[in-house]
Amino acid sequence: MRTLLLGMGNPYLSDDAVGIRLARDFKSWLEGIPNLDIVEECSVGGLELLPLIEDYQRLVIIDSTKTTGGIPGKWYYFTAERLRETMNLTNIHDANFVTALELGRRLGMKLPANSEVHIFAVEIADSLTFAEQLTEALQRGYPQYSSEIFNCIVELIASPPGFLVPVNVLSHAAGRI
Amino acid sequence: MTRTISIDPITRLEGHGKIEIFLGDDGSVRNCFFQIPELRGFERFVVGRPIEELPRIVTRICGVCPASHHMASAKAVDGCFGNEVPPVAHKLRDMYYHAHFIHSHVAHFYALAAPDFVCGPESDPAVRNILGVVAKVGLEIGGRVIKARSMAQRIQQLLGGRTTHPVWCLPGGVAKGLKKEELNEIKPMVKELAGFTEFSLKLFHDVVLKNPQYVDLILNGPYTLDVQFMGLVDKDNAPNFYDGQVRVVDFEGHEICKYQPDRYFEHVAEHVEPWSYLKFPYLRKRGWKGFVEGINSSIYCATPLARLNVADRMATPRAQEAYEGMFKTLGGKPCRALMANHWARLVEMVQNAEMLERYCADPEITSDKFRVLPQQITGTGIGIVEAMRGTLTHHYTCDKNGICTGANLIVGTTNNNAPIQMVTKKVAQTLIRPGKEPNQGILNMIEMAFRAFDPCYSCATHTLPGQMPLEVSVYQGGKLQHHFKRGS
Repeated sequence: MRTLLLGMGNPYLSDDAVGIRLARDFKSWLEGIPNLDIVEECSVGGLELLPLIEDYQRLVIIDSTKTTGGIPGKWYYFTAERLRETMNLTNIHDANFVTALELGRRLGMKLPANSEVHIFAVEIADSLTFAEQLTEALQRGYPQYSSEIFNCIVELIASPPGFLVPVNVLSHAAGRI
Repeated sequence: MTRTISIDPITRLEGHGKIEIFLGDDGSVRNCFFQIPELRGFERFVVGRPIEELPRIVTRICGVCPASHHMASAKAVDGCFGNEVPPVAHKLRDMYYHAHFIHSHVAHFYALAAPDFVCGPESDPAVRNILGVVAKVGLEIGGRVIKARSMAQRIQQLLGGRTTHPVWCLPGGVAKGLKKEELNEIKPMVKELAGFTEFSLKLFHDVVLKNPQYVDLILNGPYTLDVQFMGLVDKDNAPNFYDGQVRVVDFEGHEICKYQPDRYFEHVAEHVEPWSYLKFPYLRKRGWKGFVEGINSSIYCATPLARLNVADRMATPRAQEAYEGMFKTLGGKPCRALMANHWARLVEMVQNAEMLERYCADPEITSDKFRVLPQQITGTGIGIVEAMRGTLTHHYTCDKNGICTGANLIVGTTNNNAPIQMVTKKVAQTLIRPGKEPNQGILNMIEMAFRAFDPCYSCATHTLPGQMPLEVSVYQGGKLQHHFKRGS
């Protein structure tokens, strides 16, 4: 099963870079695993994503999110079957991610099924300030949430199609959506 | 007592934009505000960095128009080094930029503008998207859109080495030239893109112009503003997206000013309102007069339509033909009907494709004289290009060691901040009347007002969700009276 791991965000926009940072860190451990490709830094959304994810059977996305009342450092897991918006899976100038996926499928592109699009989204504090550092809250929580997400991704990659990250490994997370 | 209607793009994300409409006792719209948060600290972020790094950094401001920032920044940095950029480098940059324009305009037209017309402005939001367009016009359209975008992107990759976030422009030119084999790969794609731009124009004619209701909406609806127009032009006053002088023309067609980019601060100033993070540029010499229309207003639009309004002609023959046809239908030039921005984008795309054809036939384009090394530091540089959604200014200063000491940016959407406010209010006042509750159709028609500007708040502010899901709350006497949402 060909899998693509995408780190999404803006490297210069403080916490928005958390997906990129996680993907970079994970790459050093995951590189060399058969049928796994890793793109540590992806800053595009909408239709732009289609050529990137074509011909993969499974997609793992690490992104940031900012929810009302959310606690920075908590994280969420969901698939495209129950997609909620994250910071970089949306694009005001383009189609949104769900529409882009649907259009691609109708056009005959070989794209992963919604159940095979796995999204890990970390709650962030600041994505409006230009900075190369994470905020203190994200930095402090990094060892915890990075190891939790890493363990989930390892299990996911090792599992057959249809696998969902089980709820019991999400005890430190905000929950599965 | 007033009621408040809030239109919020998806509320699960903070940092979103929203429209607040205030109703009076009689149910008519008293006021309307479009609010968005702004990114902070870019000027501080770049201070202290080597000035030549900025063209690479600014592409990260925005994932939608990185090439626009890259080009404006490169020109500003050229100024900081006092470089004479070789002609072929200018041509290559311009060529790259035409491909980028097509890439962007295709997305806006087919994913954002066309659904309003093909599916209808009051159609179900669930189908008012590119899938709805494909369902109505045919699956083949979707394939052509994807292919056109990927070809435009491939051309950028062949020229600049990568598709997004280019690192190609350097002080004094570009990092790589164009090889003959790369040019040979580009040529057939350009031919196909030229056909696609003509096809898009025909689609607009067939779907929009053959529908009298849409023509009436464009010409006689509330989507008009009596404000001035700004755009970059060449020596013949034809639109130029990469280089030239900034020309400002009033809505009766009289030239207000025309200036070199390095004089921009004599002509443009920025007003601040306490209720918005985003500034409101205006014509400095006229002074800030408020959000008012009229021949003496200091408010201007910087959009595709504005670019055609300030131009005396197009730079290429097929675009000229399309330009003449457009203004003939619209009743002359300048045109104040903001919905014609969608049409103007398609006319611009024709020029983009023709310019690509022109460069493909230019024997100098594969020259290896694509860069000169900087020999001096002047300390100041100003670069202006036309971003897809408006005039984009980068202004830098640096010390004698080439370390950045200051930066100022006026991005395309910021130029249009005041007219977006004004037309949003105007449309709301027209459509929401006493006794008529807003519905999905009306809300979309309000959205259409600012969608005509192709606003991109990724750089003016932060990313918003695609397709702008909305929430509407109607309050009266401080209590929620009515609430519904769509999207998300």
